[in-house]
Amino acid sequence: MHDLLGNLALGFHVAATPYNLLFCLIGALVGTLIGVLPGIGSVATIAMLLPITFGLPPVGALIMLAGIYYGAQYGGSTTSILVNIPGEATSVVTTLDGFQMAKQGRAGPALAIAAIGSFFAGCVATVLVAALGAPLTSAALLFGPAEYFSLMVLGLIFAVVLAKGSLIKALAMILAGLLMSMVGSDLETGVGRMTFDVPELSDGIGFVTVAMGVFGFAEIIRNLEGSAEDRSIVQAKVTGLMPTRKDLIDSAGAIGRGTIIGSILGILPGGGAVIASFAAYTFEKRFAKRPERFGNGAIEGVAAPESANNAAAQTAFIPLLTLGIPPNAVMALMVGAMTIHGIVPGPQVMTKQPELFWGMITSMWLGNLMLVVINLPLVGVWVSLLRVPYRLLYPAILVFCYIGIYSINNAPADVVIAAVFGVLGYLLVKHEFEPAPLILGFVLGPLMEENLRRAMLIARGDVTVFITRPISGTLIGIAVLLLVLAGLPMLRKRREEVFVE
Amino acid sequence: MSDEANAPTGARSLGVIRNPQDFYGGLALCALSLFAFWASDDLPGMRGFSFGPGTAPRIFAGVLLAFGVVITAMGFLTQGKPLERYAIRGPFWITVSIIVFANTVRPLGLVFATFVSFMISGLASPETRWVETTIAGVLMTALCVLLFVQLLALPFQLWPRF
Repeated sequence: MHDLLGNLALGFHVAATPYNLLFCLIGALVGTLIGVLPGIGSVATIAMLLPITFGLPPVGALIMLAGIYYGAQYGGSTTSILVNIPGEATSVVTTLDGFQMAKQGRAGPALAIAAIGSFFAGCVATVLVAALGAPLTSAALLFGPAEYFSLMVLGLIFAVVLAKGSLIKALAMILAGLLMSMVGSDLETGVGRMTFDVPELSDGIGFVTVAMGVFGFAEIIRNLEGSAEDRSIVQAKVTGLMPTRKDLIDSAGAIGRGTIIGSILGILPGGGAVIASFAAYTFEKRFAKRPERFGNGAIEGVAAPESANNAAAQTAFIPLLTLGIPPNAVMALMVGAMTIHGIVPGPQVMTKQPELFWGMITSMWLGNLMLVVINLPLVGVWVSLLRVPYRLLYPAILVFCYIGIYSINNAPADVVIAAVFGVLGYLLVKHEFEPAPLILGFVLGPLMEENLRRAMLIARGDVTVFITRPISGTLIGIAVLLLVLAGLPMLRKRREEVFVE
Repeated sequence: MSDEANAPTGARSLGVIRNPQDFYGGLALCALSLFAFWASDDLPGMRGFSFGPGTAPRIFAGVLLAFGVVITAMGFLTQGKPLERYAIRGPFWITVSIIVFANTVRPLGLVFATFVSFMISGLASPETRWVETTIAGVLMTALCVLLFVQLLALPFQLWPRF
């Protein structure tokens, strides 16, 4: 406990420097902005901004990127409530009751409760990350290559099981990602693999290039297909921000439950904020005394999912910072960001760079505070921003992407490679393949190969090592169990229910 | 490869393919996997019990091939949505815009490349209004120069090199 306080104090010391406060503010603002704008996700934005962080100090860069992530969870609610379009996938369920509240002239309380809920969840999750960081890090020391490999397998399986749509397609996407990550020089021998003697490929395909293509470009191509009509805005009057006493009492329980559900689902690999918000809403509705109120402007229907997605967004950092394993696509991008700065994500971050670790954690709390303070007065600004037509927005995003990709290596070829991945991403969406598992596989590929190689070498070629070592065997066991459960028809039906939008 | 070979037969026997999204998607995955096998053909594999550079790519490609076959088979066994129409205009002009950017940014400089690729990408949407887009293009170019070159001090060539 004493350690925890000491560590948090160190964190505040780092996070509260003027520069880092500024980065935190920028991150939170940018995050809110993209959260508000439908069609630009946090994954795409973080991918776009990765190259920019190159010139920043590592702590500042990571604080800013983290801010974008949780800021986006937050901003998404504004669009959901005011316009009935989820700004982010995590805010889909918020539209159900949030927009109803707005129609009844209660947009103010809805926004305020979303803010308060998010802030509360953010605070709890920050403490949780700080508290769980140390024990999990020491657990990580028990991990050998076999355990790491098995853990990554489990993480990928989690991502597959909880992803939307077909299991086998998601598995195939992971394999495709793993395969693509093999392009480039072999780590041990330095032989070029699948490079066709193209010099641009000898360093491998850049992660940012793939992410920007598959998410950024593909998303824009996809959006251009849709008509302009879904961007029309219902001009909701935002009057009387403050929720009533009754609102607060009604939503207090929902905020608490949402926070718990979100925190748990965020830690689990592959869980993440989207599932958390769905789960929290479903939970509230199922256990409510009068479930018929949901969908007609029940304030709990805003409070629970908004708390849950914020909590999950933050606890998702736990596996990344302690085990070095990204539980979702955004965290995979954070790995990219850390690697750019020469930081290897994993248990050693906490011991070797305590100021980075704790600085980032405390910045999350500060960031959440900033979000509450900046967002309530800014609601009007966000609403007017939604009037920028997409026909002007998309070329700007594109050009920004081009320069961003080009700036990483000053290599025009990278931009073209991203274009290839953009078209690929578009085709994937058209055939209902999810691109997120592909990215996760792409990031984990080199790590998995390395650990697989080492494990096999240590075990002298004995494949059973993954099952006979206790920790590794347990992890593989859970992974298999999950796959079997997800394959069962009953559960599959459940999954579909959860994702009916 | 196998994609092209099988596509015509697939088109003729459309009654058998009940889930075309899966069928063609699965075929593409098989093609990708076979391509990876071919591309990693020259890499040495296992030496004793230690992995060679080619081992992991071939493992991944092999598993992917298995999934690809299953997904293709699902195209026959499950009922699915018909193929959606592919948009041509959006992907085409965005790709052109990217290629123009990639080829002009070095010789002609950031200002030219940004503005021209901005305007070309405008062709991707039927909703574009040109006066408005031109103004936005100028502003965006200025913003990019300010952000990337002035603020972030990235080493970009701004104007054409003579």
